[in-house]
Amino acid sequence: MKITPKQYAESLYQVIRGKEKKDTENAIVNFVNILIENNNVSKLDKIIEQFEKIWNKEERIVETEIISSEKLNSGVIKLLKDYIAKLSGAKNVIINEEKDKNILGGVVIKYEDRIIDGSLKTRIEDLKKSMVK
Amino acid sequence: MSTTKDFIVEQLKQKISDFKSEVKESTVGKVTEVGDGIARISGLSDVMMSEMLEFKSAEGSVFGVALNLEEDSVGAIFLGEFTSIKEGDEVHSLKRILEVPVGEVMVGRVVDPLGVALDGKGNIEAEKFYPIEKIAPGVITRESVNEPVQTGIKAIDAMIPIGRGQRELIIGDRQIGKTAIAIDTIINQKGQNMKCIYVAIGQRESKIASIVAKLEEAGAMDYTTIVLAGASDLASLSYIAPYAGCAMGEYFLDKGLDALIIYDDLSKHATSYREISLLLRRPPGREAYPGDVFYLHSRLLERACKLNKDYGGGSITALPIIETQAGDVSAYIPTNVISITDGQIYLEPDLFYKGQRPAVNAGLSVSRVGSAAQIKAMKKVAGKMRLEAAQYRELEAFAQFGADLDDETKAKLERGKRLMEIFKQGQYAPVHVVNQTLIFFAATKGLLDDVPVEKISEFENGLNEYAKNNGDKILKEIGKIGELNEKLEKNMEKLVNDYKSTLN
Repeated sequence: MKITPKQYAESLYQVIRGKEKKDTENAIVNFVNILIENNNVSKLDKIIEQFEKIWNKEERIVETEIISSEKLNSGVIKLLKDYIAKLSGAKNVIINEEKDKNILGGVVIKYEDRIIDGSLKTRIEDLKKSMVK
Repeated sequence: MSTTKDFIVEQLKQKISDFKSEVKESTVGKVTEVGDGIARISGLSDVMMSEMLEFKSAEGSVFGVALNLEEDSVGAIFLGEFTSIKEGDEVHSLKRILEVPVGEVMVGRVVDPLGVALDGKGNIEAEKFYPIEKIAPGVITRESVNEPVQTGIKAIDAMIPIGRGQRELIIGDRQIGKTAIAIDTIINQKGQNMKCIYVAIGQRESKIASIVAKLEEAGAMDYTTIVLAGASDLASLSYIAPYAGCAMGEYFLDKGLDALIIYDDLSKHATSYREISLLLRRPPGREAYPGDVFYLHSRLLERACKLNKDYGGGSITALPIIETQAGDVSAYIPTNVISITDGQIYLEPDLFYKGQRPAVNAGLSVSRVGSAAQIKAMKKVAGKMRLEAAQYRELEAFAQFGADLDDETKAKLERGKRLMEIFKQGQYAPVHVVNQTLIFFAATKGLLDDVPVEKISEFENGLNEYAKNNGDKILKEIGKIGELNEKLEKNMEKLVNDYKSTLN
């Protein structure tokens, strides 16, 4: 039977969960050997991608992208971090900052497949829409 | 002057201060693959089946519909020009099922399957929207078909009557008059309290232009909507067109009115659905159609119905059209649709080329609703006529051998020939049911037996003209009471004989 990247990633996660560093290394060596045996090395990229997803989900880590027009200070980032942790129920929030002048002001938060659009640009557009009505 | 200015400024200020923008959490997806009118999207974990999606690209947004919900991707079809969409573009789900504008404003318009005007008569400002997919009305809400749809085509109204709420398939090869029957039926609905919707699926736009011109000329656009998914449009538009047309009809149904919907044609609809399904990698089945191609048409045609009084008493009559290849009715799609509908009108090439137009094959055509959908007067004359036509078909084969025939058989053959001649009818020339009753009455009474076969159509025209001038009272009375009593029959017989005497 064909083994999908997702199944590989899932099994790898099960094996190394809660293990010491040394055991983990051994497990990974074994895992790669299995891949070579099954002629599945080409799937490695996809397996890593899936593994990241599973890891983040199981360890309750949420990767977030925050887009703002200006660089945010650490106080604001701390607030946003707590906010996202509350929303998503995550233990650990990883934040990637990005600067985009186009949104004029405010922030846009992206996590998982959700988006919270608090940008000034969207608000002005909403205002425009309600005025035109 | 300044006071009004101040007023406007004041109002604007008020509006701006009242304005509240909420920050909403929404889900987004990313396009992972795009092409051939479909897209694959990652993310969008809580999207619904057939929910509308908005693809955002640098050049504005394009709408689409989610069709395949898989473990970690969503398959969607585009409903517009998608060349600007790239891999990695954002996709938003709009939290609503695909809808089309409905209402009186749609009447007299030519629209695309999304309800956007194509006729250059300005935008359509509809107040109501109906979802394109809807569960058909249930058993409790329905009643049996009892009112006729007058097609104005003698062969159909007499032998294969169609009732309001019926689904009657028009089937035949290409170029044989399938659309002509549908268009004549629309033209004949004038003054019959019927809203018509003509759904063109994958048709040539030139053909639709000439149909629109013809309908306008006949004054039929006053109660007709045309939904057009042209041959150059995306397969997705062809796929949703009949459902959109049906949704527009359902508005009238809910108002307690009668609607007539023509799906021209469902073979092309099935083909476009096959295209979409194959591109979405759904497994192919027979003739490469997907497994649910039966459900595709059954759920559409089941929405045709006759509601009972408690539910408004409206109706949707469906006339689906199927194009066969070389008369093969046992292909996949034709058999499917034949089994769904309440009967079919089978058009035959042989008859067509013999000059018998409309080329209705009376033997293979049936209406499962039967004479419940005829006025009583018509029922009376058509019953006898149908029998005579059947006998003629049986004897016709015999007669070809040139065998010696007894007088009775000869008489039957002569009668049959005249009936076949009456069934011939020009395009765009519907005949009123009362005039139909008159000519069939004359034929079954034997009043036409002494009229030469090749003079029948001339005689019929003359008779109708004569009846208009001299027997208007009789015709009006048949139309009013819808029945034939002895006195009326006598009067009709006299009318025909009077006309005959004017000929000599």
